[in-house]
Amino acid sequence: MTLRLNEDFPINEEGDIVLARRLVREFALQRGFGTMDVTRIVTAASELIRNIYVYAGTGVMRVAFNEDGARTGMELTFSDQGPGIPDIAKAMEPGYSTGKSMGMGLSGSKRLMDDLTIRSVVGKGTTVIIIKWRSK
Amino acid sequence: MTRDNISVIRLRGILLVTVPPEPDDETVSSFQEKVLDVMASNEPRGLVLDISTVQTLDSFFARTLMETVQMAALMGTPTVIAGMRPDVAITATLLGLSFGKTLTARDMDSAFDLIVEKTAEDLSR
Repeated sequence: MTLRLNEDFPINEEGDIVLARRLVREFALQRGFGTMDVTRIVTAASELIRNIYVYAGTGVMRVAFNEDGARTGMELTFSDQGPGIPDIAKAMEPGYSTGKSMGMGLSGSKRLMDDLTIRSVVGKGTTVIIIKWRSK
Repeated sequence: MTRDNISVIRLRGILLVTVPPEPDDETVSSFQEKVLDVMASNEPRGLVLDISTVQTLDSFFARTLMETVQMAALMGTPTVIAGMRPDVAITATLLGLSFGKTLTARDMDSAFDLIVEKTAEDLSR
């Protein structure tokens, strides 16, 4: 399975977590992100891919790069058609979890990245978009 | 990757376990089992978990590591987590991971020193 830019990479089974993570690392390194940033991006991705696997069962990840004048942004989108998040503010609180995890995924990912956006509709699914900028 | 790929070395009564760099969830779980199995049959005076090759420490992996440390403590074995890379340390902190009172060391040498110290303290009590 390869990951192409701007195309959905399916998260269907547990093994896809490591695979998707590895691909995110390769892309980030290729685009010249430094070790610190790469580790942050891959760790945030790992949390969000696991959220898909744990809460929705299946979903997709998409990688894109945005050029914005003097900087390049790596944008990762995680979408699922799972149960959705009833209270996003609550889900963003550190330590809050409806699963068995430590509840660090969303709040932690936000701190690791420059931007994190959540859209969620109960019964329809959730989309999380994270961005990390790199100066050219 | 299976549990056979997880390296365990016994040195001067201390067990040194190398945590695999990019483990899937199954390997993470079998890592924990293997550590506990080896401890039961070896009765070491200390356990060192070498995470120097670990590139991604997410909350799932961290929780399993912490659980392993707690289980080892219940079995009476002091454990040191050694060799966390700087980028991983920064990321773990931003992520909000807390390692509580877990003993940590920069490298194997300091990890061994810590365990020797710790065991000496216990003996003198």
